[in-house]
Amino acid sequence: MSTTVDTKVPAVPARPAAEQAPAQSKGYWQGVGARLSRDPVAMVCAGLLTLLLAAVVFAPLLPLADPFTGSMISRLKPIGTEGHILGTDELGRDMLARLIYGGRLTLMLGLLPVIFAFLIGTFLGVLAGYVGGWLNTVIMRTVDVFFAFPSILLAIAISGALGAGIVNSLVSLTIVFIPPITRVAESVTASVRSLEYVDAARISGARALTVVRVHVLGNVMSPIFVYATSLTSVSMILAAGLSFLGLGVKPPQPEWGLMLNTLRTAIYIDPVLAALPGAMIFLTSLCLNLLSDGLRSAMNIKD
Amino acid sequence: MFWKTLQRGAVAFAATVLLTTSALAAGTLRIGMTASDIPLTTGQTDQGGEGMRFMGYTVYDSLINWDLSSADKPSTLTPGLATEWSTTPEDRTKWTFKLREGVKFHDGSDFTADSVVWNLDKLLDDGAEQYDSRQAAQGASRIPSIASYKVVDPLTVEIVTKQPDATLPYQIAWIMFSSPANWEANGKDWEKVAANPSGTGPWKLETFVPRERAELVPNADYWNKDRVPKLDKLVLIPLPEPNARSSALLSGQVDWIEAPAPDLVPALEGNGFKIVSNSYPHNWTYHFSRLDGSPWNDINVRKAANLAVDRGGLSQLLGGLMVEAKGFMPPSSQWFGKPEFDVVYDPEEAKKYLAEAGYGPDKRLTVKALISPSGSGQMLPLPMNEFIQQNLAAIGIDVDFEVVEWNTMINIWRAGAADPSAQGAQSINFSYFIQDPFTGLIRHLSCDLIAPNGTNWGHYCDPEMDALFKEIRNTFDPAAQDEVLRRTHEKYVNDALFLFVAHDVAPRAMSPKVEGFVQAQNWFQDFSAISIAE
Amino acid sequence: MLAYTLQRLLYVIPVAFGVSVICFMLVHIAPGDPLTAVMPIDATAEQQAAMRAEYGFDKPLPVQFAIWFGNALQGDLGASIATGRSVSSEVSRAVGNTLILAFAASLIGFPLGIFFGFVAGIFKDTLIDRAVTAFAITGVSVPNYWLGIVLVVIFSVTLGWLPSTGAGPGGSTNWAWDFEHLRFIILPAVTLAVVPMGIVTRTVRALVGDILSQDFVGALRAKGLSQVGVLRHVVRNVTPTALSVVGLQLGYLLGGSILIETVFNWPGTGFLLSNAIFQRDLPLLQGTILVLALFFVFANLIVDLLQPLVDPRIKRG
Repeated sequence: MSTTVDTKVPAVPARPAAEQAPAQSKGYWQGVGARLSRDPVAMVCAGLLTLLLAAVVFAPLLPLADPFTGSMISRLKPIGTEGHILGTDELGRDMLARLIYGGRLTLMLGLLPVIFAFLIGTFLGVLAGYVGGWLNTVIMRTVDVFFAFPSILLAIAISGALGAGIVNSLVSLTIVFIPPITRVAESVTASVRSLEYVDAARISGARALTVVRVHVLGNVMSPIFVYATSLTSVSMILAAGLSFLGLGVKPPQPEWGLMLNTLRTAIYIDPVLAALPGAMIFLTSLCLNLLSDGLRSAMNIKD
Repeated sequence: MFWKTLQRGAVAFAATVLLTTSALAAGTLRIGMTASDIPLTTGQTDQGGEGMRFMGYTVYDSLINWDLSSADKPSTLTPGLATEWSTTPEDRTKWTFKLREGVKFHDGSDFTADSVVWNLDKLLDDGAEQYDSRQAAQGASRIPSIASYKVVDPLTVEIVTKQPDATLPYQIAWIMFSSPANWEANGKDWEKVAANPSGTGPWKLETFVPRERAELVPNADYWNKDRVPKLDKLVLIPLPEPNARSSALLSGQVDWIEAPAPDLVPALEGNGFKIVSNSYPHNWTYHFSRLDGSPWNDINVRKAANLAVDRGGLSQLLGGLMVEAKGFMPPSSQWFGKPEFDVVYDPEEAKKYLAEAGYGPDKRLTVKALISPSGSGQMLPLPMNEFIQQNLAAIGIDVDFEVVEWNTMINIWRAGAADPSAQGAQSINFSYFIQDPFTGLIRHLSCDLIAPNGTNWGHYCDPEMDALFKEIRNTFDPAAQDEVLRRTHEKYVNDALFLFVAHDVAPRAMSPKVEGFVQAQNWFQDFSAISIAE
Repeated sequence: MLAYTLQRLLYVIPVAFGVSVICFMLVHIAPGDPLTAVMPIDATAEQQAAMRAEYGFDKPLPVQFAIWFGNALQGDLGASIATGRSVSSEVSRAVGNTLILAFAASLIGFPLGIFFGFVAGIFKDTLIDRAVTAFAITGVSVPNYWLGIVLVVIFSVTLGWLPSTGAGPGGSTNWAWDFEHLRFIILPAVTLAVVPMGIVTRTVRALVGDILSQDFVGALRAKGLSQVGVLRHVVRNVTPTALSVVGLQLGYLLGGSILIETVFNWPGTGFLLSNAIFQRDLPLLQGTILVLALFFVFANLIVDLLQPLVDPRIKRG
């Protein structure tokens, strides 16, 4: 079976672990950092993402209007209106404030499922790959079954069953991303395990945990990490898509996908305004992908 | 700017091949419905009022139809497949229906008294061969009063009710009659009948693609020659998403859409489309809980809230597409009456009433209200509720919203205010079909219909009101019955039994080519007089 | 070879069973009464109970599963709650429409993706490469449901060139690949094709660049092989991986059209699925998810079976 996922970015094929052995040192990461800093596109993207992240995290400290209260009189004001730099939405709420607060949820729904899936998937994958045997069979066959669903279908099916809501979206997206990460982790672990020096370490009586921590995780982390970065953009687009369908975040919470949905009727009145939330999803996802590409080449991983 | 540029581009490319418009037969009207599917075609429709509008009274008739010919007055009942109906003073439970002679179903078979009994069995007798649980689910609850029925002669049917009930004609008006012979011809299989149904109505279903479209053609042999359709074809397309509906109209894929989003109305009008609307028996309200401890038990609180709502401001929010409520029924209703309590916007008077109840700026009243972000007939629920929240806050009533999904809300509404699912909410924001005495008045406040046994959500029970309801059911002269209905409604208003907010006006947007449409003050409409200009 | 094929074929059985268990469970963890959306608002408690019994929702879950699974094996997925129509017929009609859309999107996305990928790979690290890469990454980054709306506003509403909803002037029945029908498919197919095109471009570009930088290509050139000859080599080496990516993207097209179908009212599986979700139409929901997932399982299977045929280097089993 191929390790490629149906998600929007092809998976990083597991690197032949031998290339990187022994486990990466500080020097390796410094090298990656240095290479990355010479990539202008990646740096610009990293800068933009940092700025967005900062705005989103420190939103309550910024001089923003309340994203929840609006005025019926000032509905759908165009961009550049006094007091509302980015205009107002269909309930007269400040668009700038809602886009920034909306970014909180959208980014959270992009990041958290990937982080959770990263932790759970790596754990399951390393466990399956390292222990092998029946445990491997149980874990990997279960993963295969979940893998049989196209990711969007699985996310929509789970969210559709659980109903709308932030927690339900988190759960469904996490479930969607566990299988691909588990697979990558399992295949890298299995190949590392069979390396001579790892074998030697095991035979020499090193505790399993130590072997995993020192030899396996060191080798496994960077390909999974890069893969996870690319999943973040997929996760964000999916999460916003769920909200867009009415299966994700519920009103009146600001979230980009939901805003795109509720502003749909405004597309005939002020198309630019109505397109803003979608444009935010697009730009953020573009930056994430470009950064992930930069990371990949900085880490010298082939796609 | 964006628009100008694009429009200039459009003109420049006007000559390109892409601009070919599809060649349509003359006189085809394509309607974008709000339903997500073609309503059930076998007779008794699903999809609520819209289902009956497009697939009920088009393909079928009832014994008693609605007169949909006038836009200026509330619509009333009119003879359909029955020419007259009556009950005798000796036994008020026994009704005789005289049937119209010479009516034929679309498949050529005759409509007779046997067809009537056969169709009632279809809905009420689960032992009958033709019993259809899908139609029964839609129709049985419409005729709760019927106890039995029988053929008297080929053109006479007798229906017996459980108790005397003068509202029976309104109940009967729901029931659609499908052809028994056609059901036989389709192997006694309702699934097959669905693709090839046969009624007596002015339209015949020609083709039908589930979830996509239905095409109706005129029934040239319709018994009422005045209502033989002028169009060549009527196409129904389900377009549940308001934006998709508007896009379809703007790009010329349909000629008519139901319920355009209020925000889009100016854009549609700017593009030359007509907006047609009219008052009809619809009501958007807060149904109050009258359980012990509910602040709404105090008439002063109820009156205060009713005087606090700025309905004119709300109307602006909806682009004028609403009727400001003056009571439970729309002001134009034949049952509105002359209530003494004038439902207007008067915050000062509202504060006085609230003070009377012991609340004010120093002692604000907090109420919990159930609302849903969507739902059929709910108009623009979120903005409207937020608007009301602001209005009530201004006089000293703080509204806490409990926001639930629409289907959950329906369940809470069925379960009643006392059910745990209502989470102790003291009102539910619901919109009501109020076209006849039962759905309009009786079902909301009758003591024997307290939820979950009926649809009296708030557990209201007032012997005086119940006496009025009894009188409605026992007044068999239509004019006298209307008088009782007016008195009942006056009590609704004088006691401020609901928060009277708004009535929808059933806006429709249509191409200027659509001619001859008269929007009746009704949930149902007549499509026979419509034509399409070349 | 035969052993591999057999093993692969047999392996589909437990996966398909697992898939059906998940489909069933997913739908039944759902809170709420599935019959709410379809009963008239005034239905009494007895009428509701009767209807629940009729649909078998009063039975314990394992029994419901056994009944459903047994019927599903015979191709009977039950009847939709909302419409009463057989789920199998609803789903098969919808799958047909989704396949039409997916096929149209493949015709746009894959050839373009492969072409762009080759061009970028051959001219690696030139301006052309940068432009193509930027285009491809834009493609994978764009939320396609948003792109769909934007395209409708421009091409349907403002310019009036193309229809915005539906699958043909007379609905999806009698679909034909003629001009009248193609007008309806252009916007949704383009919208749907953008993401796979980006992915295929990126994959092919990387593969081509990789192979061209390998030693044997230089050797071939040194031996005097023409540019066309070199390209032929590249094509032979790129095909297996490209095939697997295309295969998986085909699966993506089937599942991924859900949002697009909703935007364009395209009467396919995605449209059916979102209807089923919002009407809590459990039999329809289960059936649609099951059929889509099984399609994806078989797409994977076919890719796995084809791969050793085009790439004899891969030894499996």
